Amino acid sequence: MIFQKIKGVFIDGKKDLCKKSPLKEYLSPKYVYIPLLQRTSNLKAEVKVGDEVKVGQVVATNEQQMNVRVHASVSGKVTAIKKVWHSSGKMVDAIEIENNFQNQLTESIKREENVDSLTREQLIKKMELAGITGLGGAGFPTHIKYKTKAKIDTVIINAVECEPYLTCDYHFITTYPEKLLKGATYMMKAADATKVVIAYKINNKQIREAVQPFLPKFPHVELFPVKNVYPAGWEKFIVEQVTKKTYNGLPAEAGVIVNNSATAITFADAVEMNIPLIARPISITGEGIKKPGSFYVPIGTKVSELVELCGGYVEGLDPLKYNYIAGGPMTGRAIFIDDLVVNDTLGAVIVKPVIEGLHPECLGCGKCADVCPAFLTPTEIKKAFERKDIKLLSDLNANKCVECGLCSYICPSHVEITEAVAKGKDLLRKGAK
Amino acid sequence: MARFAGGKAPFLRASDEKDYGTKVMMKDFMIALLPVILFTWYKNGIQVYLDGNIGLLEMFYPLVFILLGGFISVMMEGIFVFVTNKEDRSLKGIMTKLSVSFSAIPGLILALLLPLYTPIWVLIFAAFIATIIGKMIFGGFGHNIFNPALLGYTVVGFTLMGVINNAGGLFNASEAIIDSYAGATPLGALASSGQINYDILVAPYGSLWDFFIGTIPGALGETSALAIMFGGLYLVIRKVIKWYTPVIYVGTVFGLSWIIGALSGDAGLWFPAYSVFSGGVMFAAVFMATEPVTTPTNILGKVFFALFLGVFTVLFRFVGSLPEGVATSLIFLNIFTLPIDKFTAVIRTKRFTKPGGLYFGILTGLLLVLAVYTLVKAGNMYTVYIPYLGWVI
Repeated sequence: MIFQKIKGVFIDGKKDLCKKSPLKEYLSPKYVYIPLLQRTSNLKAEVKVGDEVKVGQVVATNEQQMNVRVHASVSGKVTAIKKVWHSSGKMVDAIEIENNFQNQLTESIKREENVDSLTREQLIKKMELAGITGLGGAGFPTHIKYKTKAKIDTVIINAVECEPYLTCDYHFITTYPEKLLKGATYMMKAADATKVVIAYKINNKQIREAVQPFLPKFPHVELFPVKNVYPAGWEKFIVEQVTKKTYNGLPAEAGVIVNNSATAITFADAVEMNIPLIARPISITGEGIKKPGSFYVPIGTKVSELVELCGGYVEGLDPLKYNYIAGGPMTGRAIFIDDLVVNDTLGAVIVKPVIEGLHPECLGCGKCADVCPAFLTPTEIKKAFERKDIKLLSDLNANKCVECGLCSYICPSHVEITEAVAKGKDLLRKGAK
Repeated sequence: MARFAGGKAPFLRASDEKDYGTKVMMKDFMIALLPVILFTWYKNGIQVYLDGNIGLLEMFYPLVFILLGGFISVMMEGIFVFVTNKEDRSLKGIMTKLSVSFSAIPGLILALLLPLYTPIWVLIFAAFIATIIGKMIFGGFGHNIFNPALLGYTVVGFTLMGVINNAGGLFNASEAIIDSYAGATPLGALASSGQINYDILVAPYGSLWDFFIGTIPGALGETSALAIMFGGLYLVIRKVIKWYTPVIYVGTVFGLSWIIGALSGDAGLWFPAYSVFSGGVMFAAVFMATEPVTTPTNILGKVFFALFLGVFTVLFRFVGSLPEGVATSLIFLNIFTLPIDKFTAVIRTKRFTKPGGLYFGILTGLLLVLAVYTLVKAGNMYTVYIPYLGWVI
């Protein structure tokens, strides 16, 4: 059989658009809108209109599903619960909080005295209470990962950020390198592991330079460069590169937990200061933005305010000829109205022109199957989906698709093949039930 | 607030760049045909003119003939679009459709498959079969089952070969006056003599070097392995085709021919080399077995396709009554492209677990049975077993 190893594809990163400008803090917007949706779980609001809330106060929970909790990111008054655009491409309910600009902290936010004596259980509890979720884009509640029964020996911090355009993780790491190492260390303790590996892209020398001076204090941390390809930031790719082991379901099978670098930095604050997940870095970039930049903002900030900080859209921008993308350009979603709010999974907003052209039919070149990191055959999955052949879809492992978007990217005929495979995956999931 | 455009991820496409995409790939395909076209022009035009056998104007005939093939195909497709597309019959509309249909390529390949002195009306008929029946009826580029050029060539080959031969056929003016050719191509010589003998098969046409360079009689594009290799190399470097499809196909034909030669008592490497360089094997390997639309999509499918193609070519050539076997085996296997694609895709994902292993077993089993059958039958034809039987008794 053909030897299967994920190769990845080099994609022009276009990261220079906002790499030069430093991470800017924008911590006091007039209003924030906390979405009542975390990944797939709908949240129940714990506050009523008219309530006064403090920074870090729990405002919404879902105890049935993975015990998710969301906190107020500014102090002030709850003025409404209304619909906003969410990065999932839908309109969802959100708690509107009017900022009173007094930055009152809730009681639980205080310096933790004896940080080093915290046990594994206490650390995981902190993770849960702080509502830490994966900030890389999937938004999976982090504490679930650490409650695994498997023996974990390595915690991998994913600082690869392989999607083009995105620089928010890069900026966050280079701004807070020590926090990254601390957070990673707490994560290692929370997993009972012995080693931390920070995977970063080999061309991001600045990450190495920023982290290196602190390494003597953290001897268990190791830096691991990965190739500058897409999808080098995919969990499975990193695990295979670092441990030379592979897995089918979860990385825990290979004795590994993978966390995003921004999650690690947030966790450092959660452990030392008991600050829950209330802010995250975000890149506002793309050819349609005048001065692209990265920001550190409270969850719930309106993206339109950040766009204003970037100097607005370029002159004479015709919105109908531009995409407004929530997330990275490879896996993100097009949002129709530029009225988005920042939620925990939104790493970037990209405004980029739509390139139109007349494209021929699929010619069957097979490039999509060649680049697929999951070793699927997208063209056949597409055909099986069109025939609604559920058995064939399962024979073709359509459920293994990670929707990285490489097949559509590489297609010389501009076929929407990722979309077709994703639909096949959905059909298989529904049909299997 | 503004309303933005919709779309589906990914929002970055390699095909948005100017130097990547199907159009570029098809342009590369045409560029790869250039060495073949130039060589055949040299061989059938310039060289013959230098020999003094034709006039200056006639020197351009091979070039004109090939370009005419492409031109006729484009015209036919344009007319087809005009007739079927009632909404937009403007010139601009038709040109837009043609720009994503790449109709010149089947036309050029078709002309290269035909002998030099094919009457023009036969070329037009073949182009009609190729573009209209072979491609447009199926729904245009990307939907055709059969390689259009090959379909046109095969239909003409089975029906109008007599007409072509009467009109002058394969030989250019210089070749026609050489007596030792005895009116047959190298492969024709094998079919008529039925003997594996260097003096009959190779010697009249020069040496194997001439076979490689291409100065032997044959259809316009197929004679020069060298020119075809240049084209193939270009396609591989430009990542339009995979290197292994031609290599496996040629390798299979080479290997099986070698065994057949050895079974019939002559284990020299000249016979497999003759088998590969004499007919259309090289041309088919580079320009038709790799044609993306009508051959399997994934890697494993391409490998199986090339293996089957090699076996069938040898089967049709040495066991069947066809002198060539290349075109017939390709057309025949085009039918099986879809199932091969499906089976190999399952093998790729499921590996040797059920049902991948089953499919893999079926495909390899079929391949082995066919290969053994071919060898046994071909061995019989070239009277191998008789001396061995005598020796045993």
